[in-house]
Amino acid sequence: MNHTSDTAAAGNGGTFGPEQAAALLDQTTQRARRKFQASPPWLLVTRAVLVLAALGAIWLSVRGQHPYRGPTAADIPVLVGFIVVNFAATVAVRRRATAGVSGRSRFSQGEIIVLVLAFVATVLAMAVLGAAGVSFAWYPTSVLVIPGLAWMVLTAVRGNWREFATGLAIVVIGIVGAFAGPAGSWAIAAVGLCAVLLGDAAAIAWQQRRA
Amino acid sequence: MNDDGLDPLIHVPTRLKIVATLAALPDGDGLSFTRLQDMLELTPGNLIIQLRKLEEAGYLSSEKTRNGSAQKTTVTLTSQGRAALSAYTKALRDLLGGLYTEAQPEHEHRRT
Repeated sequence: MNHTSDTAAAGNGGTFGPEQAAALLDQTTQRARRKFQASPPWLLVTRAVLVLAALGAIWLSVRGQHPYRGPTAADIPVLVGFIVVNFAATVAVRRRATAGVSGRSRFSQGEIIVLVLAFVATVLAMAVLGAAGVSFAWYPTSVLVIPGLAWMVLTAVRGNWREFATGLAIVVIGIVGAFAGPAGSWAIAAVGLCAVLLGDAAAIAWQQRRA
Repeated sequence: MNDDGLDPLIHVPTRLKIVATLAALPDGDGLSFTRLQDMLELTPGNLIIQLRKLEEAGYLSSEKTRNGSAQKTTVTLTSQGRAALSAYTKALRDLLGGLYTEAQPEHEHRRT
């Protein structure tokens, strides 16, 4: 459907025909869906590239370690920077998309609490395991399991099966990475998360194109 | 209905844009007056007039909430409004034959 300007669609003094109405309806619907999309494909692709670069860089730095010592001091700012940029960009885009929107498009307070508790539980689990001599650096993908499970529960309750699949994939990456060895788990995380984000972007783009 | 079967309440560019924009949200979700105005680039007066006509027809509902001194108006497409848009889309499709294959309404589109 061709894009139609408002004045043209309005007939500009003439009649508003079915062709113009169809074009205007299509154009308005597409534009609104793009603006309400809290996870636009471009953001997901950007995050996919960033996660591949950040975690891939860590894998490159640890893969030659014998014995394995974990990420170097130079790697930590890369990891923290990635997490901060990723979180900030996601929140900013989501807030913009849902500005003025009320209802199920927004997370409820209960859902936000569940997500926050999932991250707190992850940090606590890391601390407890660390105190028991099992460093997070040896099983880096294990941090994905609890947030992934929380996301699965939230999206299942919402009936959002695409996002449920994303949560499931994240949990699978977390478990598979735990069996890939310390250095290999960084590669699993980099490639796995990149693939999940690209898959999500493709699914959303396909949905938008189909519409 | 018009002679061509198009709902005259929707078959006006501004009202069509309002209904289509609200229909892009999941069923039952509302949109603030200011965001709707911003998205459609309409003057407040024009938007109020069109919203009132749609509300009188039962196509949308509005809710006013007060936060301190500021008043916020939220508009939501009703199930009647969604049904009217679906019927309008079907009428367009019938009129234009196979040329027009518009998207499913959002409550059907966003199952995931």
